Amino acid sequence: MEKLYFKFTTTQPVTKFVHVGVVASGDLEIILRPNNHSYSTLNIITGSDGFKSTWSNVLSRFFDRYPLQGDFEINDFGATPGVVNLRLSQVMEVLKNEQ
Amino acid sequence: MNNSLLELNARERAVALLDKDTAQELIGPFDNIISPHLIPQNIVPESDDGVIIMKGQLKHLNCVIISIEGSFQGGGIGEVGGAKIVSALEHTLLDNKNGEKVYPLIIFDTGGVRLQEANYGLLSISEIQNMIIELKQYVPVIGLIPGRVGSFGGMSITTALMSYIITTDKARIGLNGPEVIEQEAGAREFDSSDKNLIWNTLGAKQRKATGIVDEVIDDDVDAFRSTIAKTILEKKDSNRDQQVNFYLSLIETLDPAHMLTTQEYTNLYRHVSVHDHHLNSAIPSDYPTITSRGRHWFEQLTQIKNAHSDIPTVLHALVNGYEYISIVPDKNNNFPRVRHGEVGLKEGYTVANVINDLIDRDKDKKTKTPIVIIVDVPSQAYGYNEELVGIHMSLAASVSAYARARQAGHKIISFIPGDAVSGGFLAHGLQSNRLIALNDSSITIQAMSKESAARITNRSLQELEQATKNTPAMAYDIKNYQKLGSLFYLISNVKSYDSSDYAINIVKNAINSAISDLENKPTDLSFRYNNKIAKESGRVATNKIRLLMDKQWN
Amino acid sequence: MTNKNHNWASQRDEKNLRMANATSIINNKFVRTENAKELLETLIQPNDRVVLEGDNQKQASFLSETLASVDCARIHDLHMIMSSVSRPEHLDIFENGIATKLDFSFAGPQSNRISKMISSGILKIGDIHTYLELYARLFVDLTPNVVLVAADKADKQGNLYTGYNTEETPVIIESAAFKNGIVIVQVSEIVDKLPRVDIPSDWVDIIIQSDKPYQLEPLFTRDPQNITELQILMGMMAIRGIYEKHHVQSVNHGIGFNTAAIELLLPTYGNQLGLKGKIVPYWEVNPTPTLIPAIENGWIKSIHSFGGEVGMEQYISARPDVFFVGKDGTMRSNRAYGQMAGQYALDMFVGSTLQIDKYGNSSTVTNGRLSGFGGAPNMGSNPTGRRHSSTAWQSLKPTDNPLAKGQKLVVQIVETYNSAKKPVFVEHLDAEKVQKEANLENVPIMIYSEDTTHIVTEEGIAYLYKTNSMTERQEAIEAIAGVTPLGLRSNAKKLNQLRNKGIVALPEDLKVNRLAAKRSLLAAKNMEDLVKWSKGLYNPPAKFRSWS
Repeated sequence: MEKLYFKFTTTQPVTKFVHVGVVASGDLEIILRPNNHSYSTLNIITGSDGFKSTWSNVLSRFFDRYPLQGDFEINDFGATPGVVNLRLSQVMEVLKNEQ
Repeated sequence: MNNSLLELNARERAVALLDKDTAQELIGPFDNIISPHLIPQNIVPESDDGVIIMKGQLKHLNCVIISIEGSFQGGGIGEVGGAKIVSALEHTLLDNKNGEKVYPLIIFDTGGVRLQEANYGLLSISEIQNMIIELKQYVPVIGLIPGRVGSFGGMSITTALMSYIITTDKARIGLNGPEVIEQEAGAREFDSSDKNLIWNTLGAKQRKATGIVDEVIDDDVDAFRSTIAKTILEKKDSNRDQQVNFYLSLIETLDPAHMLTTQEYTNLYRHVSVHDHHLNSAIPSDYPTITSRGRHWFEQLTQIKNAHSDIPTVLHALVNGYEYISIVPDKNNNFPRVRHGEVGLKEGYTVANVINDLIDRDKDKKTKTPIVIIVDVPSQAYGYNEELVGIHMSLAASVSAYARARQAGHKIISFIPGDAVSGGFLAHGLQSNRLIALNDSSITIQAMSKESAARITNRSLQELEQATKNTPAMAYDIKNYQKLGSLFYLISNVKSYDSSDYAINIVKNAINSAISDLENKPTDLSFRYNNKIAKESGRVATNKIRLLMDKQWN
Repeated sequence: MTNKNHNWASQRDEKNLRMANATSIINNKFVRTENAKELLETLIQPNDRVVLEGDNQKQASFLSETLASVDCARIHDLHMIMSSVSRPEHLDIFENGIATKLDFSFAGPQSNRISKMISSGILKIGDIHTYLELYARLFVDLTPNVVLVAADKADKQGNLYTGYNTEETPVIIESAAFKNGIVIVQVSEIVDKLPRVDIPSDWVDIIIQSDKPYQLEPLFTRDPQNITELQILMGMMAIRGIYEKHHVQSVNHGIGFNTAAIELLLPTYGNQLGLKGKIVPYWEVNPTPTLIPAIENGWIKSIHSFGGEVGMEQYISARPDVFFVGKDGTMRSNRAYGQMAGQYALDMFVGSTLQIDKYGNSSTVTNGRLSGFGGAPNMGSNPTGRRHSSTAWQSLKPTDNPLAKGQKLVVQIVETYNSAKKPVFVEHLDAEKVQKEANLENVPIMIYSEDTTHIVTEEGIAYLYKTNSMTERQEAIEAIAGVTPLGLRSNAKKLNQLRNKGIVALPEDLKVNRLAAKRSLLAAKNMEDLVKWSKGLYNPPAKFRSWS
């Protein structure tokens, strides 16, 4: 298990709380809370150690495309970058539906 | 095949069963409550701790759905998830007592106790069981088992306490998982790689044929919704926890040395001639038998020498106004899996029988006979026949009897001079409202043997011992256990085999003071999380959740 | 000129001599089970070329166990020819000093051990082949002295029934029977009358009843319960962006969950797109149970199979319009014909792999594991000898060359990272290292870049056949390689250029909604659903049981 922290400058504040996913084998949950900063924070607890740079790459790409602003909490039980991306896009979908 | 309940995760299952837009989650992912016990053990937590509490309406009936997430840590019950369930059920009970009908549903997808929080798991499960038994007086408490994990361990006992159980054919129910039986009793007893054996024995269809579940329906959300509504409206209750005479009669006709086929058992089940059972008090005899800490203290406290009972593994006697009861080893017992004092098929039902008789006898009395449970149970019985017949039902029968006795006003004290492990402890000890223990290093108190726990959690024995050493959540010793706050009193200067008058007096005094402490106190299990140690350190998360639930319930 | 007395039948004489030495234990072709070891010690000589049958599914397990137990003072330095090295005793034969040289195709389960034995010099590799190549060489420079094969039943005359699992038995026997080789067959049962004759007794020298039936593994079965949302997403993209786009009519699916997902999407997503009857009516594939919903839903006209699949027997018997079924009601598989069909008669191969390099070469050989090739390169290559045409084949024809011809579609579907979170896209294949370690002539590449026409990942599809330089090909691969080191070389600008040229397509370009990729879209979500689709005719092996 490893705790990771990331911060990204972002421009699109979210107004809703969002939760997706399950901490199942090969999967993760994402909890998103609105914040009042000009950046997003990510507190990640992952069961797979040694993947900080992979996380950084996945998240940089995501926030480049979708600069969502909020506080993210992620509990990860071995999700691949592909699954992380899919869950992040589900967060987007939930935000869209609730707007 | 397209509106599957099984395919959904725990939260989606709860939402899917409720009428559109009525679901409202309590203590959800945004409430910032995770298990405090997992991260210190390097395990990733989940924001809901694998238990989802959802209020809403099902066909316009007010319901609360408790849905367990089987894919997070095998659906194991820990402190946070357990407390969520208990407090939700408590509020449901209160509402129903106040005349407001709320129907509780539990979706089981659980391996039972979460081994990384084993002691919390056991405590929580006993508290859940207590609530279900009381709730059944008001509304049917319905269990759903869609499948994947199914319902195992201590939570299988909980399923047996439900009013009504609805499953798909992909559900399995058993006390001991096949891997654990294989670990404890060998592959010849149960080959855990034989999927056909597992499904034919523990699968829903066989369970339906032999009265362990009530309905096996299609894996379809609408089918579940209609079946649930019908169950509520028709107030269905199978009283599965009160078929003591039926099962004692059945067990008498069973040859424990022969591994029954499912067909043989189904036939046996269908042709039971039921007769009443009553166990006489133990009497003194001239024949010393194998001793144990449980027998030792039964004989000391009742002064019955070489106590003899018609059921050699269950001793009980009414002495000086207290009903003492103990489960003891019997080295020649025809059920090989109970020879070391384990709680087996016959033991659970026999204890239930004794307690049910006592409840009945005291029914109209104002002062109920106090019960002293002498706890020395190394585990439940691990065996193939036991699982086929449904040993979890036997344990549920005794859980139910103790809980109903306590709720009726019997003061129940568990005195622990020996081991208090797993399902054995749930069935014989954890329904008491005060726990007293000897401070003796020989006492093991836990949810599973170290060997099995290591195998199930994929750790080496060494890693497990390292992890449990200073973690009360996983303690195997009584001193660490005390830090949870669940003990009323730890007797420090008496050892498990002491027999001096001095020692006996200390124990008697402890029992007496526990009984007087119960005067005009609640008949529930709240003492365990309301005392000083529990509030300050042992059950901090439990109390936090109870407060939060109070805030969010209405 | 040649000597008048030259013996032109020396091999035949040699065979007859060996057979004569064993007459005391042979009773009209039949040898008792307990004499198996003595028989092999008598009929096999040092330095012989011996074929041992063992492919993906069927294993001549009794004969391989017996061979591993012979006296190495009598029998040594054998040259083994085996399409699949899959049982521990296949390598014990080398460790016990009985054989020294190996020509093979596939070593999945033993790939680790085989690597170690090569580097320690216990085993010398002749070459690693595809199945079809290895069978071909049995008729050229690897003609066998002895073949050890397996059949279900023999009759009293020595005719064989290989039935459902015929697989490679006929091709092996033929290579020996007509070139003075000795044909030794283990049979599970000896009967008065066979359901049908698969191999005539004339081609068979020795029959031994085995102590237990030959080993058979349900190797191709995938439980739909384990199919993930990403596999569904990639399946949806493949159906839209490849199957539909190229009007693919005939296909081989490699083993795995990615292709199982596609099979289970045809009756749902495929129907939503109105593609039934328009794509993939013809299949060369093992009879995997995940095909059942598509068959029942009317998608499939014909399936020919390399081998059988445990549990599918009854279902196949009841669907003779679709499968190749004998008069007796049992399918006849044939690995050699299957590989031939897979190479020449198909529009498309779809498979998965463990690593893809920056050029698009792929390999299932990873560090320390010499897994071999099996049949994938036959399917997964463009047969330059192909002359017949089809719409899909023509759709890949370059437009700038009047003499150009079409091309087979060779599709790789991979998630950018594997489940152990290792990147699938790499700078260099592990196979390059393995080549050096095992002293191989060539890098063991499964499918070469030049043959790979499409790569599908969770990010999108790269249409490699449309690229016109290696640089562009590399950019196309990078564009769909996610955050792997290769993928990070791409950027938004390059991606959009490739999208505009139609070389890369993202899900949105294909009108595939990422969030529609749910398990509810699968025609069957678990094994029990497959049993229901089959109307109870599919009988899954016990290890797949997950219901009561």
